[in-house]
Amino acid sequence: MIELKNISKSFWRHEVLRNINLNVETGEVVVILGPSGSGKTTLLRCVNYLEKPAGGEIAVGDFRMDCARAKRGDVLRLRRKTAMVFQQYNLFRHKTALENVMEALLVVKKLPPKEARGRSVSLLEKVGLGDKLDAYPSRLSGGQQQRVGIARALALEPEVILFDEPTSALDPELVGEVLEVIRNIAREGITMIVVTHEMGFARDVANRVVFMDGGVVVEEGTPDEVFQRPREERTKQFLRRITPEANYSI
Amino acid sequence: MGASFDIGYVFSFLPKLLDTLGVTLLIVAGSLLTGIVAGFLVALPRMYKIPVLRALSGVYLSFFRGTPILIQLFLFYYGLPELLKPLGFDLSRAPVMLFVILAYGLHTGAYAAEMIRASVEAVDRGQVEAAYAAGMTPYQALSRIVLPQALGIAVPVFSNLVIALLKDTSLAFTLGVMEMTGKAQTLGTLTQHFVETYIALALIYLVISFTLEKVLLAAERRLNRHEAREERVVRRFALGKRGSYRAALADIETGKGGGI
Repeated sequence: MIELKNISKSFWRHEVLRNINLNVETGEVVVILGPSGSGKTTLLRCVNYLEKPAGGEIAVGDFRMDCARAKRGDVLRLRRKTAMVFQQYNLFRHKTALENVMEALLVVKKLPPKEARGRSVSLLEKVGLGDKLDAYPSRLSGGQQQRVGIARALALEPEVILFDEPTSALDPELVGEVLEVIRNIAREGITMIVVTHEMGFARDVANRVVFMDGGVVVEEGTPDEVFQRPREERTKQFLRRITPEANYSI
Repeated sequence: MGASFDIGYVFSFLPKLLDTLGVTLLIVAGSLLTGIVAGFLVALPRMYKIPVLRALSGVYLSFFRGTPILIQLFLFYYGLPELLKPLGFDLSRAPVMLFVILAYGLHTGAYAAEMIRASVEAVDRGQVEAAYAAGMTPYQALSRIVLPQALGIAVPVFSNLVIALLKDTSLAFTLGVMEMTGKAQTLGTLTQHFVETYIALALIYLVISFTLEKVLLAAERRLNRHEAREERVVRRFALGKRGSYRAALADIETGKGGGI
């Protein structure tokens, strides 16, 4: 279970996150929506401390951390309980698909090479890249690279996988294959927090939708509640802007 | 003006000059080693923005990049003993080679520092975040993710640096070191066939530079084999699109390669 308590964050004078509270149950898929600049990506990056929150508490599984007093060891422990999939994939460019997945298993988890390799191969097969084990990222399409990124995150067997707009950098025709992979692992009961603009995906896969704006959580609920019966005016506005076709069916 | 030109002398001088090739290469190797160590020491405070050391690095860089190597040689050879005498070190009997390697080494260090910093910063920051997100320590991220890629990026600059150093060592004769250029001076004076000695000398420098360049180019290809070939072609075209060949040259010729 993940628990964020009173997370706050400012860039210079600008308050990006204001006392955010968010709980995610084990196996839950939480989608964070919101206009750009609402702080959703910053919040996600606070969970694994890629952004340093100004204050608040983060708990992942049995590990709890006070952000204001975090030491290097705490940050490392936190990061070893989480994994992240990035908008720009961020694969290690000098390593093959297989080596990308194996890297943290060898270096962080200290698995014997044989075991690391076995686990990595089966994960790459699972995301449909069994035939690309030895390809370098520069030889892979965006969709393929992102699927390697997902396999790399899965390999760590984290308590939660954080998805930071995983399909935003992809060509439209490649979005489907990546969403399909995420959908499949969501069904396996892996805990996920997803920042995305894919409304269809959110509706389809999320257990809970969180709508953020101006650095606060405006509204949260099941996809049905948030999409069909939004309570807050800001949520309604946002949904109108982002899904105009839903309102005018021909 | 010396004796009349005789091409035969060029060939007879070649082996004589090559006798002193070892001295030249010793200066190059010693300075490179010193330079890379100095380069790291200077680059690290600049990369990690360590307050006081960073300012000192800046002074170091300005001095070694802003003054001619010849002056640096003289300053080290004549100045260092004077500077250290009050501290109780007597350098009057120290071998000239020590000063030469120190001066060239620290000179190279300035360019190496900029090479290291630029190469490390050229590795995309997102990969470091990915390494951190996976639970790697900063040292693991640097040694396993950043440095291997920075190495490939650094090779072309390094190649320039080594070749520039090789050519610069020809100034060591001014302190009386009998390296190739010093030897050429002597041969010229003895035989009065100056032009022939310098042709022979130029040939040797040319062959070594050319070989170094090819070897390092091969190393670069190997280190960057993970980058798709197509991309390299695209880059080359992009260079051509800059407009004039002068603009393209200005991009490539960064002096000793450090001046980014």
